[in-house]
Amino acid sequence: MPDPSPASHTGRGPGRLIVALYGLLALAATGRSVLQIVEYFDRAPVSYLLSALAALIYIVATIGLARGDRLSVRIASVAIVIELIGVLVVGVISYAAPDAFPDKTVWSHFGQGYGYVPLVLPVLGLLWIRRNRAPRTASIG
Amino acid sequence: MLAPLTVSLLVASGVLGLIAGHHLVRRRRVDDPLILVGAAIELGLVVQLVYGLTQAGAIGDGSERATFIAYLFTVLVILPVTIYIAIKEKTQWAMSVVLGGALVVAILIARVQQIWSLNA
Repeated sequence: MPDPSPASHTGRGPGRLIVALYGLLALAATGRSVLQIVEYFDRAPVSYLLSALAALIYIVATIGLARGDRLSVRIASVAIVIELIGVLVVGVISYAAPDAFPDKTVWSHFGQGYGYVPLVLPVLGLLWIRRNRAPRTASIG
Repeated sequence: MLAPLTVSLLVASGVLGLIAGHHLVRRRRVDDPLILVGAAIELGLVVQLVYGLTQAGAIGDGSERATFIAYLFTVLVILPVTIYIAIKEKTQWAMSVVLGGALVVAILIARVQQIWSLNA
C-alpha cells in the first residue's frame, strides 16, 4: 500500500464515519427526490430539482471520499463546497422567504429535518480533507 | 404496526448501540455478540417488512405509503453496510460507525411507526 498511515486516506479511520454519513445522506436525498419527482413534480419543481441536485452532490462526495485518491478527493472537495453553499443559501432562503420552497428539501431550515447533519457534515468533511492533505504535502516538501 | 415487534426492535437497536459503545471504549473489534445482535435485528426487520407490505394498503395518502414502504426497505441495508465497514476498519473508528448505524436503525423504525400511526 502506498499509504502506510491510516490517517492519510480520506476513506479510513475517522473517514469511515464521514463516508458512512455521506452515504446515508446520499440515500436519504436520493429517496426523497425520486419520490418527489415521481409522485408530484408539478407542485414544486424548484424544490424537487434541488433535492435531486443535493442527492447527486452527496453521491459524488461519498464516492470521492471513499476512493481517497488525489483526483477523487479533489472532486469530493468541490462537491462538499457546493453542498456547504447550498445548505447555507437554501437554509437562509427557507427562513427569509418560506414561499420560495413550498416543499421541504434536505437543505431546508439548515437541514433541521435531518438533525442538522447536512449543515455539520460539510464542515467536518472539509476539515477532514484538509487534515489529510497536510502530511502528504509536507512529506513531498 | 406490531407494537411488540417495534418495541423489541428498538430495544435490540439500543443493545447493539451499547455493545458498540462498549467495544469503542475497550477498543475491541467486531465480534460474535455484535454480529448476532445485528443478525437478530435484521430478522426482526424482515418480519416488519413482510408485515408492513401486507398492511401498507391501510395508509390512504399515496406519498406517505410510498415513504412507508421505502423506509421498510431502507432500514434493512443499514446494518449490513455498517458492519461491513466496521470489519474492514481496524481502528476504534469501526465501532463509531456501528454506533451510528444502530442509531439510524432506531430512528428509521421510529419513523415507520410514526408514519403508520399518523396515516393508517
